[in-house]
Amino acid sequence: MKLDIHLHGPEGKKKRVVELIPKGSEYEFTLDGQPVEAEAVQLSPHTISVLLGGQSFEIHVSRSADGKLKLQCGPHEYSAEVHDPRAWRGRKQGALEVEGRAEVPAPMPGKVIRLLVASGDSVAAGQGLLVVEAMKMQNEIRSPKSGKVVRLLAKEGQNVNAGDILAWVE
Amino acid sequence: MFKKILIANRGEIAVRILRACRELGIQTAAAFSEVDRASLHVRLADEAYPIGPAASRESYLRIDKLMDVAKKSGCDALHPGYGFLAENPALPRACADSGLTFIGPSAEAMEAMGSKTAGKQLARRVDVPTVPGTSDPIENPDEAQALARSMGYPILLKAIAGGGGKGMRVVPTDAEFASAWRDAGSEALNAFGDSRVFIEKYLVGPRHIEIQIFADAHGRCVSLGERECSIQRRHQKVVEEAPSPVVTPDLRRKMGDAAVRLARAGGYVNAGTVEFLVDADLNFYFLEVNTRLQVEHPVTEQVTGLDLVKLQIAIAAGHRLPFAWESITPRGHAMEVRLYAEDPDNNFFPSPGKIIERHAPTGPGIRLDEGVYEGWTVPMDYDPLLSKLIAWGNSREETISRLRRALDEYTITGIRTNVSLFRRILAEPEFLRAEIHTKWLDELLGRPRPPAVPPRPGTEEAALIAAALWHGANTLSSSSGDSSSSPSRWKMEGRRQQMDHMP
Repeated sequence: MKLDIHLHGPEGKKKRVVELIPKGSEYEFTLDGQPVEAEAVQLSPHTISVLLGGQSFEIHVSRSADGKLKLQCGPHEYSAEVHDPRAWRGRKQGALEVEGRAEVPAPMPGKVIRLLVASGDSVAAGQGLLVVEAMKMQNEIRSPKSGKVVRLLAKEGQNVNAGDILAWVE
Repeated sequence: MFKKILIANRGEIAVRILRACRELGIQTAAAFSEVDRASLHVRLADEAYPIGPAASRESYLRIDKLMDVAKKSGCDALHPGYGFLAENPALPRACADSGLTFIGPSAEAMEAMGSKTAGKQLARRVDVPTVPGTSDPIENPDEAQALARSMGYPILLKAIAGGGGKGMRVVPTDAEFASAWRDAGSEALNAFGDSRVFIEKYLVGPRHIEIQIFADAHGRCVSLGERECSIQRRHQKVVEEAPSPVVTPDLRRKMGDAAVRLARAGGYVNAGTVEFLVDADLNFYFLEVNTRLQVEHPVTEQVTGLDLVKLQIAIAAGHRLPFAWESITPRGHAMEVRLYAEDPDNNFFPSPGKIIERHAPTGPGIRLDEGVYEGWTVPMDYDPLLSKLIAWGNSREETISRLRRALDEYTITGIRTNVSLFRRILAEPEFLRAEIHTKWLDELLGRPRPPAVPPRPGTEEAALIAAALWHGANTLSSSSGDSSSSPSRWKMEGRRQQMDHMP
């Protein structure tokens, strides 16, 4: 199985090709076509131990809300989009980015307790847009950019889920 | 001794109290809200009873429901933990009416010391120095603002019934007063059922050092020494240690004497904490009394060898304190970090959700007090404290390296935690030199982050291999349609690959 992996981590963004070659009950790996001395064992559904040239790594894998894989290795974190060019089932993933317009999502589930701006207001980057209460803490949701609030979708008293779009700033 | 104790709390502190009861051979009854049915305190208790919906005002803050549970289950005592009703005098009163022993101070002592204004008045009476401010709650916002102006900014708004930074706001300028007033009031109402706040002059750069006191019902009152809790994020303690690196034996004795004087004047019985602010010249100012067990009590336990919850229970049962206070000297050094379900990369937003995997650190000098487990969903309805990780060592340096080591071992996936915050704090030279104050962490977080330590060579490749392996396993498991018939899928994939290679 040959996979294209778009990796985003502490060393930046890059695309690498990983190939898994079955050898008995185990696998051999190539990276960008070069064989690597690696052995990997899945310890539990979300934990993989990798021995790479004798160096021991433990990677925690989970799927994040945007469909990418989240890989945690100690304090370091990577996100990966994995494409199998030969898979017959197409996968369309990844966040939609709108040029010039920033969507402001709820960072956690909670309740909108106060709106600080109105639709049509001009706002500065970092300015509070509204207040969401979760876990007994009131959290101000700030504008990601300077511009104009073109839509304010949240209402006072409304319960929101993580990822719900609260406002558009253009 | 008591036969059965009702634990009127949830989370890690409910678990902590359950463990003490179990060791003492006392039966336990847990109370839980609808979202806490699967919580660890329910699983560990001998008995457990529902007390209503998720909202704490309809469950954990309902004294009538707790009394019903106590009656139904035949409890003879109640432990309130911290937070919720722990500092509400109505709870000890209701307990007395129901013939239950409240494990904590009397309602009168709570009123005399627990409210910040009453505590201040008492402190002034017994010559314990205090921070300038109002001693009464202020109800009228205009009057409050006028007072704030006359006192000079910055000022601090604090909930009368508060604790843990809830209902507390620093107001740097007059322009921010109105919104801070509203937020502090509504947060206080939600957390404690009491929206009243008072105003205090805000000291610049002080340390937070508190004295753990214990008093029995036979007239003995002792200090168990200090804890330093200067590492706070927006007034919420996140790292605590004992002993304080700046407290000398002489200062320890002076602060201990002041705390004991206050406790005696208030007729205090059971565990309490007297909080002080300490300035650069080691002058101390009384801040408030917490008439309950503190979140950070484990650091005192680690350096004194005492079990404070068992002591609380023994004192409530009428036992005498078994030691003279002179005999308590701290042994070694202990430090606690509070692990929260919150995202340090996203302004510390709460991050409730399901814990997919969890690996807890163990080994020499490590203690973990927690109320979570793998597979449990952290509810969004309560304080996001997951665990308290405590390290003990012979010196502050050894304690810090143990804590770092334990943080490296601690993994929790599925939710965000503030572990990276502690990695950063524990690497800061100022922290290592103990040059800290209550605003130190907020200032640190305002500075640009130091360049991250790069991953060691091979990490990226290991991550790629893990991603490929995991992708393979999960893609295959979904296409095979049956995710429970595990490892042979690898063989199936192997066969498919081999077939692919056939001409």
